[in-house]
Amino acid sequence: MSDHEPHGPSRRQILKAGALLAAAPILGASRPAAAQAPAKSTKVLDFHTGADVAKAEQEGEVVYYSHDGEAGIAALLEGFRKDFPKIKTNYVRAQTGALYAKITAERSAGRFGVDVLQLSDISPAIDFQKKGGYEPYVSPEHAAYKPAYQSTPGGHFTWMGVTFAGIAYNRSKVAPPQAPKTWKDILSPAYKDGISAKLSTSGMQHMQWYMLRKLYGADFWPEFAKQRPKGFDSRAQLFDRLAKGDDRVCALAEYAGYTLFKEKGAEIDFVSPPDGLPATPALIGVVNRAPHPEAAKLFLDWALSNRGQAVNQTQTILLYGSVRSDAPPMATGKKLTDFKLLFPTDWADFQASHGAFVKEWNAMMGL
Amino acid sequence: MAELARARRFRPGPRLVSALVGGAAAILVLYPIAFLIQASLSVGDPQARPPEAYGLDNFADLPRYGHIFANTVSVAVAATVMAVVVGFVMGWILSRTNVPGRGALEQLMALPYYVTPLMGALAWSLIGSPSGGFLNQVWRALGGRDHLIDVTTPYGIAWVMALFEGSVAFVMIGAVMKSMDPALEEASQVLGAGRLRTMLRITLPLVLPGVLGAAIFVFAEMLGSFSAALVLGLPSRFYVVTTAMYQLVSQYPPQFPRAAAMGVSLFGVMFAMVYVYRRVVQAGSYATITGKAFRARAMDVAGLRWPLLGVCLAYLGVAVVLPVVTLLYASVQRLATAFPRAGNFTLANYETALSLDAVRAALWNSLLLGLGTASIGVLLMGFLAWMIYRSRLPGVGVIEYVLMFPQAVPRLVFAFGMLWAWLIFPIPIYGTLWLLLIAYLTVFLPLGLRTIAGVMLQIDRSLEESAQMCGASWGYRMRTVTMPLLRPGLVAAWLLLFIASVRELGASILLMGPKAKVITPTIVESWFSTSTELTAAMALLQTLAVSLALVLLFKVARRATQPAGE
Repeated sequence: MSDHEPHGPSRRQILKAGALLAAAPILGASRPAAAQAPAKSTKVLDFHTGADVAKAEQEGEVVYYSHDGEAGIAALLEGFRKDFPKIKTNYVRAQTGALYAKITAERSAGRFGVDVLQLSDISPAIDFQKKGGYEPYVSPEHAAYKPAYQSTPGGHFTWMGVTFAGIAYNRSKVAPPQAPKTWKDILSPAYKDGISAKLSTSGMQHMQWYMLRKLYGADFWPEFAKQRPKGFDSRAQLFDRLAKGDDRVCALAEYAGYTLFKEKGAEIDFVSPPDGLPATPALIGVVNRAPHPEAAKLFLDWALSNRGQAVNQTQTILLYGSVRSDAPPMATGKKLTDFKLLFPTDWADFQASHGAFVKEWNAMMGL
Repeated sequence: MAELARARRFRPGPRLVSALVGGAAAILVLYPIAFLIQASLSVGDPQARPPEAYGLDNFADLPRYGHIFANTVSVAVAATVMAVVVGFVMGWILSRTNVPGRGALEQLMALPYYVTPLMGALAWSLIGSPSGGFLNQVWRALGGRDHLIDVTTPYGIAWVMALFEGSVAFVMIGAVMKSMDPALEEASQVLGAGRLRTMLRITLPLVLPGVLGAAIFVFAEMLGSFSAALVLGLPSRFYVVTTAMYQLVSQYPPQFPRAAAMGVSLFGVMFAMVYVYRRVVQAGSYATITGKAFRARAMDVAGLRWPLLGVCLAYLGVAVVLPVVTLLYASVQRLATAFPRAGNFTLANYETALSLDAVRAALWNSLLLGLGTASIGVLLMGFLAWMIYRSRLPGVGVIEYVLMFPQAVPRLVFAFGMLWAWLIFPIPIYGTLWLLLIAYLTVFLPLGLRTIAGVMLQIDRSLEESAQMCGASWGYRMRTVTMPLLRPGLVAAWLLLFIASVRELGASILLMGPKAKVITPTIVESWFSTSTELTAAMALLQTLAVSLALVLLFKVARRATQPAGE
């Protein structure tokens, strides 16, 4: 992993957020964004929780909003239900933008139906934190997560896992010697009209745009636009097309997608450019005014524990790398530390660049 | 006692009932529309509800999406023309000619409408993508170069839209043709006109309201078409209004105001269409069901029967057989390819699909909602059609315009209006199946209304007037004269509403809650996040469940449309 470790918003930003919150109380009652003391913990199975397990079981349900795919969410929730069969699970799945819009609209109307929120983009997570949307809860499992992998202050959201992307190509369309080796190779005219990436809805795409722009300058993406790239919503779509030969090269090839399709027998190869792989976290937090607060805390603790992380790391439909200090390898036998990952050094700058990214990316994709 | 007797004698008159039903329907439509318009005028923080400031900036910004509007209109026109021509020809063949196997064909011909547009688009993507399309793979294997067909072009997209979203034209036009007195065509032929001339000079003008209604409906459907443009348009960077709006509201921060402005701008197009429709309807008399008794008879087309059968079978081949077989083939593969390999076959996609709780619950909810929407909708929309086209009550023209609103707005955008509207509604129906039921009844008002109106306009007023002259009350006339005559239209509307509800996507995707899921958005989510193969399995399971339900419903429908004594 690179030396550039992520950090949350600055103190100044938090104070500013507090002022904004007072002026725009759109998300219902919220608590001051202050650091919380770790919750009193009890050991359940082989992890620690600050939740009252008996109460959680009495609540009998947890409602999860997530950006992951149906099958991925089902795998995660099934893992939780196996450990806590008395707690039912329900979920809503949508793209991060649509999901965030939904929860924001619901809460502004005084509807509080969600317990735990997972997002794939740090910008809406910080926005939600600023608006007092999270229930500050420092999980006992946070001890295994560096502060860099938690919100500032801790207890709002945590890095549930990390996904990262390199380049992939279809071997029947591009011979390995002609395949791209570095990020700059994706600008080769040989791939014009045959290269794909994600749309501006993607947090991962924002990360790649930001990191490669930092590495290669502002001209990198305008050059890439000349390739007439095709944009899609998800990694599943990107790899589906790559595997079928509809695209020759995928410029935002998430390792998780590559593994899944490689397992199916697709003739594709993954390239790790020497300059590194842009990476982005999936962020999870308990929502305030949750209808099932104890079940929500229990679910969060479980998801952050090695039990939940094992599901994340071994289910190929998910395959998020764990940032836990004691995490075992992923299903592929590799750990996150085996890859050179690229994260922003200045997260505030990264967040501030979102508008410019959306504008440039939409124009590039013909929107 | 006297008061009780008066109360017992009280019968709500047509004016009161009309005011209540028409008013309720108008509120259903206008309530969310008000929120949508409000959003389109929001110029502050795009996420702020209610808006921080108002202005026209979002509309002023629309010209930069000019290419997207042009794409939308061109593809919608092309698809509408294809769908209406096919719908008319098929409707004529199956309703007015003695083509062999007419009964079975008629039921099969509506199958493309049961196939969700997403399923059709996925299937044609597998068949005709320029590189990975099965047909093109076979073409290259046989020595061809590049590709034989490309469904990702605008015409390819229009073709798929016409097949799967335009198939409603056949059902709508067919319902009108069935209600037509064949004596008029026979008279034409007796006077020496040929079959083609009779079709163009007699049949076509008589079914014009139905054809026009279908054309307007289909055009509006195409304007709001989502699945085909999403699956086939993105690979060629071809955006239409709905896919552009979807991207705008899916990105962070979601651009609701801009998306709402795009949706609101389609109102103008739709108003123009409704205006044309009303002008045509008001300009002529299209009554073919009069006091004179008739018996629906097919025209003898002699030797043309077999070529016409061939046309029907060819249509069924490309609209049903080929897509279903393709999806079936893809669904049993790990990675779909045209040339089978032993190790590539698997049933895992079906195992996964059936193991997902969400899929089972969603399928059941969809069928339940389909039954509810169709049953309540037929009563509501049948009455509204009578009110608008028969009652001569003041203000019905305005009501018609209002009720056409949902057709003018892509359902995805309309759903945002509904989301905001019903979220703040004091009765907590948000996140329940009740909200989806209300949403379906609202967005499908134009569908039900158009279908029933097409038949209603063919019923001569004199029949109701005769009953009135004989002393029949309004309620008695409705029950014994109007409703029985409307029966084919009502049955067609019921089936259409049922199917439309089960396959609905745009409104459901935002309004379904964690405990109120429906099947089509679940399948779309699967397409986004898993694979074509698993999605194909899910889509086929949906089709199977809907088909089983429809087999039962058709039996009931056939009994309902059979003329008494047959």
